[in-house]
Amino acid sequence: MSNQSSSKDPAQSRVAAAAGQNSSSSTRWVWIGIAAIVLVVGALAFVFTRSDGSGGGSATPDGGGTPGVTVVPAGKVEIGTISVTGTKLPEQSASGADPAVGQVIPTITGQTFDGSAMTIGPSGEPTIIMVVAHWCPHCQREVPFLESWLRTNGAPEGVRLVALATSNDSGKPNYPAGQWLLREKWTVPTMVDDRASDGAQALGVTGFPYFIVVDAQGRVIERTSGELTAAQWESLIAAAKSGTSQPAA
Amino acid sequence: MLATQTVSTMSFFFASLALLCWAAVALIGVGALVRRLADRPVPMLESLGSDVRRVALPLAWLIAAVTMLGSLYYSRIQHYIPCELCWYQRICIYPFAVILGIAAWRRDAGVRVYAVPVLAIGAVVAAYHTWVQAYPPADGTSFCTADAPCTLRYVWEFGFVSLPFMALSACCCMIVLLLIARPTPRSGPTVETP
Repeated sequence: MSNQSSSKDPAQSRVAAAAGQNSSSSTRWVWIGIAAIVLVVGALAFVFTRSDGSGGGSATPDGGGTPGVTVVPAGKVEIGTISVTGTKLPEQSASGADPAVGQVIPTITGQTFDGSAMTIGPSGEPTIIMVVAHWCPHCQREVPFLESWLRTNGAPEGVRLVALATSNDSGKPNYPAGQWLLREKWTVPTMVDDRASDGAQALGVTGFPYFIVVDAQGRVIERTSGELTAAQWESLIAAAKSGTSQPAA
Repeated sequence: MLATQTVSTMSFFFASLALLCWAAVALIGVGALVRRLADRPVPMLESLGSDVRRVALPLAWLIAAVTMLGSLYYSRIQHYIPCELCWYQRICIYPFAVILGIAAWRRDAGVRVYAVPVLAIGAVVAAYHTWVQAYPPADGTSFCTADAPCTLRYVWEFGFVSLPFMALSACCCMIVLLLIARPTPRSGPTVETP
């Protein structure tokens, strides 16, 4: 048995060749159709994403805020410039005690979204530091949740709240962080981290959102990451007030 | 600004291709169902089915190649960092940009025996990743890691199309095309002799 080009029967060869040509021509329209559809889709993509100057998935800031409510300043700062003094906090391991508990947090000097100076560090009052990233879906849910809690319950008495907008990257969704927080009518004073996220690294941040509870002397009481329930959030406030970690109710 | 618009255009384009993959899967499924339920062969459907079967193998290769190039565009040009789940999907798809090309050249529809199981694994991983991005888990692991989080939606077109959804679309479409693929006779005058 062998497979070969036949020259034994010219008629049979012609039939086979004709069959091949028919096969080729009958599938040609399928390829032309596929190419046409792809071209149309490409043209639509170009038109839809260029005509309004924005991508399909990009967000548009509303640029406003509720009158009478102090929201985070809009400003133009997308990537901050910060300096860190003091000892950086170690990263929290997945299990076991947090090695940073009891350690004094470093002092981070930088600016908020409108360029005004801001400092995160030992401040003489218990503080909760919230670290958020604009592209993180958990932060995108946690920020409005916390803002809603603050509007309902008011700012916790005797506890300072500050935030650090870190991991700022124009190549990631929901950029810039300032526009996102403005849309959420975020009222917590927020520092803009630098391109290398030095602020977050100084606090030993391993995930987003991240929370660091410190006492009046700047010593770490507790650190945690992830979306918080109201009970977990209130336990952080209780920890800040009492100076010791509190179990969530 | 230009880079942002370019990635928006590319994401819209790839997301639309993903939806076209599902349209193709649905049409092939409906066609197969009608063919099975019909009392006698429908000439137009038979002709159409025959044509689609002949182009199925090269079309599957084309999808694998476009999927690989799209993936490389996001990671090498846009510098999106692939997460662990992304890498598993890449492992399941990238080889077929070559293997299906060879199979299409040789008209070897038997490649489905090797390709479909691997693509099915890729589809399962992509489905899980799609779910994680659509509904980030709200339990104890509900945070984004600082380097390459699986929950990060680099692309979110039409309110639901993410990068893993695109991979899922490509895997499912390739599987269906490979299952219906039939070898095409070569156009050359080749004759089997006893």
